[in-house]
Amino acid sequence: MATHEVWAYSEKPAFLAELIGGARVLAENLGGSIVAVVIGPRTEAEKAISLGASKVFLLDKNKESTMVEDYVPTLANLVNEQGPSVLLFGATKRGKAIAGRLAARIGTSVITDAQDFIYDQGQLSVRHMIFGGGAVRIEKALTQTLVATIRAGVFDTPIIDESIMGEIIEAHYVEPAWRMSCLEHREKKLTTSNLAAAKRVVCPGRGISKREDLALINDLAQVLEAEVGCTRPLAEGLDWMPRDHYIGVSGASIAPDLYLGIGVSGQVQHTVGIVGARIIAAINKDKNAPIIAQADYGIIGDLYEIVPSLIKFLKARK
Amino acid sequence: MNIVTCFKSTPDSKDIEIKSDGLLSLEKAEWIISEYDLQAVETAVKLVESSSGKVIALSAGPTNISNSKLKKDILSRGPDELYLIIDNRLCENDTYATATVLSKAIQKIGPVDLVLCGEGSSDLYFQQVGLQVGEMLGWPTINSVGKIEVSSDHLVIERDLEDEVEILEVYLPAVLSVTTYINLPRLPTMKEIIKAGQKPVIEWSLQDLNLSDIKTGVEVISLKAPDQVGRKNITIEAEPDEAAGLLINYLSNDGVI
Repeated sequence: MATHEVWAYSEKPAFLAELIGGARVLAENLGGSIVAVVIGPRTEAEKAISLGASKVFLLDKNKESTMVEDYVPTLANLVNEQGPSVLLFGATKRGKAIAGRLAARIGTSVITDAQDFIYDQGQLSVRHMIFGGGAVRIEKALTQTLVATIRAGVFDTPIIDESIMGEIIEAHYVEPAWRMSCLEHREKKLTTSNLAAAKRVVCPGRGISKREDLALINDLAQVLEAEVGCTRPLAEGLDWMPRDHYIGVSGASIAPDLYLGIGVSGQVQHTVGIVGARIIAAINKDKNAPIIAQADYGIIGDLYEIVPSLIKFLKARK
Repeated sequence: MNIVTCFKSTPDSKDIEIKSDGLLSLEKAEWIISEYDLQAVETAVKLVESSSGKVIALSAGPTNISNSKLKKDILSRGPDELYLIIDNRLCENDTYATATVLSKAIQKIGPVDLVLCGEGSSDLYFQQVGLQVGEMLGWPTINSVGKIEVSSDHLVIERDLEDEVEILEVYLPAVLSVTTYINLPRLPTMKEIIKAGQKPVIEWSLQDLNLSDIKTGVEVISLKAPDQVGRKNITIEAEPDEAAGLLINYLSNDGVI
């Protein structure tokens, strides 16, 4: 068998750099080499080499095709031809779409949100979280090629070294059977939320009875110098807060010094997003609410009485 | 327009038990409709309401999914018919296997214009099945669909990505995975709940789909509860001012405020 190849692809250049860092760790363990896939300009392929890829498949952007998703048949062709051991995809929406469709073509499943790779006695397996973070599942591929998606921040970006040599191979474009035409691109306004980097996060949940009461939460956040997040129902359903503010399995994951949940019940779909918090505090009128069992400090009581007291004392401390 | 809306039946995560050895038990869990699939069902029902055709709900899984409460629940949300593919080998939740079974079922169901899936299951959230079903059928397929409009012979959709929104033209038949926020699924009315009991439910085995066995892409080696971060678990039950004062002291001693 040929040497093991670890392939990396992301449509985001910074993400691809991280994946090349991950591929390097894996290639060292497997005794293999790093291969990058680039859909775009040759300069990106050259950059991938100086980040450590010994080979780059360059899929030059076809004029007809406006979406990287159109390259799935081309990628599948390459994978079938070359038989890599591992394919790493950046876990963006596009990355997931390409990985899933490619996996279907080569007869396998994608191991999503891989956290780390275990290499033991010639066997590669992957650890990832399921049940909204409630469980860790270890899986191995039953096919020659293991396909995994990786979240941003799991691997370190290698340092660029211009002296690294590698080859760039232009891949043959396979015309897709269907194509979606993109009528328009709309840039999204960048989020004003800074949850991911926040030191303190105040998080209201369904215990808040009406939208106007969020003013009370904002007052507390201001005096605590905290960002405001929320649980899913407040952002999707009630639409009281922007979608990018909600914390949980399908939303943001945060790791602040302090998380303060206010009227949050503590369902696992939410709490998976706060496991990284150093201190978890919660205010809930129900002492049996799951959040209390998962908190460092749980105040049992009416948030409409306790939050004003907190604001009063915190202001007095200043 | 005939629309198949796929949904997953999953053990309620609230009922997961962690045994002393860290292994998980789902024995006592109630099986429910995966939360984010309700948006796909609602999308399908709305599309058919504003045109014509029917909504067909489809799920695959072990015998647990064939329970009357679950059948009634899904049908009370608007679908006209329900197809269930039942086999106890369908419990490892391998997306390749699930997609194989669903795509075979869709082919057998007959003329279908559109297949809708949720963004991901509420337990595993792999976000893969819709895309894999589309690829296996050879139909146009895409994820993260936040809006669908019917335009004569095709659809115009909004695809909501991390930093941009794409407006795409999609020709049918197609397989789309919708976002968790495309709509707010309605709650079933009493009338719909009563009607649900009279709607057709068709149960198929793998054999009915001409599948003798199911091929999985990955093998699960172990499933365990993660190592928990130790929490202090201090409960404060006092008058508001006293409780607030205590919390501020604790947080101050921890150096987080």
